[in-house]
Amino acid sequence: MQKLEVIITGFGGQGIVLAGRILGQAASLGDHKESTLIQSYGPESRGGACSAQVIISDGTINYPYVRQPDILAAMSQAGFDKFVDQVRPEGFILIDQDLVKPKGLDRDYFAVPSTRMAEELGRKMMANIIMIGFITAVTQASTLEATRETVTKSVPKGTEEMNIKAFSKGYDYGLSLLKARDKKASGQSGALA
Amino acid sequence: MGNDQAKKDLKIILFLCSWGPHAAFQQLQDKDCRIPAQVKMVRIPCSGRVSKALLFKPFEMGADGVALIGCGSGACRYGVGSITAERNTADTRRILDLLGLSRKRLRLAAFSPEDPQGLLDFLNDFVEEVAAIGKSPVQRPSKPEQPADSKAVIKEIIQKHDVYACQDCGKCSSACSLTLAGKQYSPRAMANAIIGGKLDDPQVQKDVWACLTCGICYDRCPSAVNFPEFIRDVRAVLKSSNGNGNEAHGGFFGSLARTMTSPELKGRHWHWLPEDIKTDAQSKVLFFGGCAPYFDVFFKNHLAPATLDSLKDSLRLLNFFDVHPILLDDERCCGHDLLWTGDRENFLKLAKLNIEAIAESGAEEVIVSCPEGYRTFVKDYPEAGLEMPFKVTHIHEFLEREISKGSVGFKPLDKKITFQDSCRLSRHMEMTDSARKLINRLAPESFTEMQDSGAGAICCGNCGWSGCDSFSKALQVKRLRQAKETQGDLLVTSCPKCQVHLRCAMQDPFFGKDLEIEMMDLTSVMAKTICWE
Ligand code: SF4
Ligand code: SF4
Ligand code: SF4
Repeated sequence: MQKLEVIITGFGGQGIVLAGRILGQAASLGDHKESTLIQSYGPESRGGACSAQVIISDGTINYPYVRQPDILAAMSQAGFDKFVDQVRPEGFILIDQDLVKPKGLDRDYFAVPSTRMAEELGRKMMANIIMIGFITAVTQASTLEATRETVTKSVPKGTEEMNIKAFSKGYDYGLSLLKARDKKASGQSGALA
Repeated sequence: MGNDQAKKDLKIILFLCSWGPHAAFQQLQDKDCRIPAQVKMVRIPCSGRVSKALLFKPFEMGADGVALIGCGSGACRYGVGSITAERNTADTRRILDLLGLSRKRLRLAAFSPEDPQGLLDFLNDFVEEVAAIGKSPVQRPSKPEQPADSKAVIKEIIQKHDVYACQDCGKCSSACSLTLAGKQYSPRAMANAIIGGKLDDPQVQKDVWACLTCGICYDRCPSAVNFPEFIRDVRAVLKSSNGNGNEAHGGFFGSLARTMTSPELKGRHWHWLPEDIKTDAQSKVLFFGGCAPYFDVFFKNHLAPATLDSLKDSLRLLNFFDVHPILLDDERCCGHDLLWTGDRENFLKLAKLNIEAIAESGAEEVIVSCPEGYRTFVKDYPEAGLEMPFKVTHIHEFLEREISKGSVGFKPLDKKITFQDSCRLSRHMEMTDSARKLINRLAPESFTEMQDSGAGAICCGNCGWSGCDSFSKALQVKRLRQAKETQGDLLVTSCPKCQVHLRCAMQDPFFGKDLEIEMMDLTSVMAKTICWE
């Protein structure tokens, strides 16, 4: 049985809980797996630390709290510092590269400029959706179709198109990053051989 | 038997130098020797005087073979005739190869008056060789039909482009590059003369062929008179009544394009492709390259334009993004030049053949790197009522789309760059931004725009291989000066023909090294520096 433990963390107001819900919902309703969501806020919801714990599993989930994350997606330095040591050795660490400095981290991680990309799209609020796209591409915790679909259903009416654009940005960036790694590993880093 | 008949039907043109070889030929005639009947002889002053255009012309008209016979090197009365003939023949043979006609259909030889038997043997042998290759698949191209009432057609054209809306304000003339280069030429005067029914006026006829169709006038015109398209349609009327297109290079490129209208012709357009470039006949993406391979061969002796690089590098960039496109080996000219020099009929033939071949390949997206090809596909094919079951993307758009996905960077480029807009992209397609977006992603030492840039850029001085004269030269010189004034050391271009024409001006011996500046297509600059981050 395959089970994935996910923590998405950031400040209140960034849409962290929504991100967690979309991920879990995509896995359960779209991909027909089991999932749970636990949300926790810091002392104050806006601006304070905040995290969403999601578990995605092929079988029944008996305990909804994350013990050792397979995936950590951090959109704040505090959240990153708090959870980074708990991530499984073979797990994924994903960060917003403008908000998190992975100082002293001596293992592989994946960075996306999600806040900057959201600003370029004209809405800083959409950084979380970009991050979901990125998580989907890099970790494949949920499938592309299911997650896209869930994003469309979870955002306010009238903003679907914008949000799908944001999602695709994050997703494409993730794929592009994976490809870049592959290419470099195979010694093919430029266009001229 | 059938074979004999086929052999009998061969048409072979013999260009024969009036000096040594003709004396040999005459002896054959005097002695009543059996000169193969397929051979039609054309006397020429010197083998070196037969240009590539002339060597090629018979092939356009359906000849199966051409022999050029001159005097041996050293025996040429004009000194360098033999050497020139050698070069021209070698280039034209390479072009025949690209066309899939086989280089063997063209031969160069030298005979002295003392060797009539050698000449006869040569002719017999050549006929045998051409017979072995078979008849040329080229069908003599059709001549445009003359409209029954050209006055009425002109009227329609005036109406279609609403030239009546001209307010005679003169903004077009004051923006027109040719007028500014000092030519006695005024677009509005021409337009008004045509409205006034003076199409037969010699000045009007001259001016119709002089316009570069660069479109600055249209950009400035408050009445939105689309002058380039108006001129294009007027040319079609003139052409059908045997108008002279003021063609550069002896009309070689027109001949070439018309040759390609033969459906049976199976080109070898991509046979020079470097091995490291990956293609895939099953791909959903097709790359349409255009005529650059021919330019490289045609100009190799005096310009060395390296326009082929833009194709190689476009393909490398596609490969970089894991696109292994389909290439059509019998890709044909898109027809742009025929369309803009008034040969609508043959343009339509090319268009149909191209669309058919692409549709058959199963491609869903066609990527075009040549600005002229892009305009032709996106605007002119649909306007001609042709349906295309695929979408067309310019390589700049493709690159922006892929690069914006992320993880791609550019290595520093040790150059101060400036950019030459192509009229087809910038003005005709209103795509001044696409190249600049890409340029802004590069990491050059600096990027400085020339004094005239974007929609107001000065053109490279020629279009459709017609209208090249001292004023287009003046334009090119002005443009190169502007490039030098930016203090740049690399002129980035986006059209293979800008490369050819600007390079031509750079080689003007009167200017020495004054106008020289390195030039490179934007795709090449990108291919050199792009990297995964
Ligand atoms: S700019 Fe337009 S309106 Fe003015 S003279 Fe020229 S064609 Fe006529
Ligand atoms: S298209 Fe160009 S060359 Fe022709 S009239 Fe207009 S500005 Fe002059
Ligand atoms: S500018 Fe040079 S290359 Fe271009 S048509 Fe004129 S002579 Fe030919």
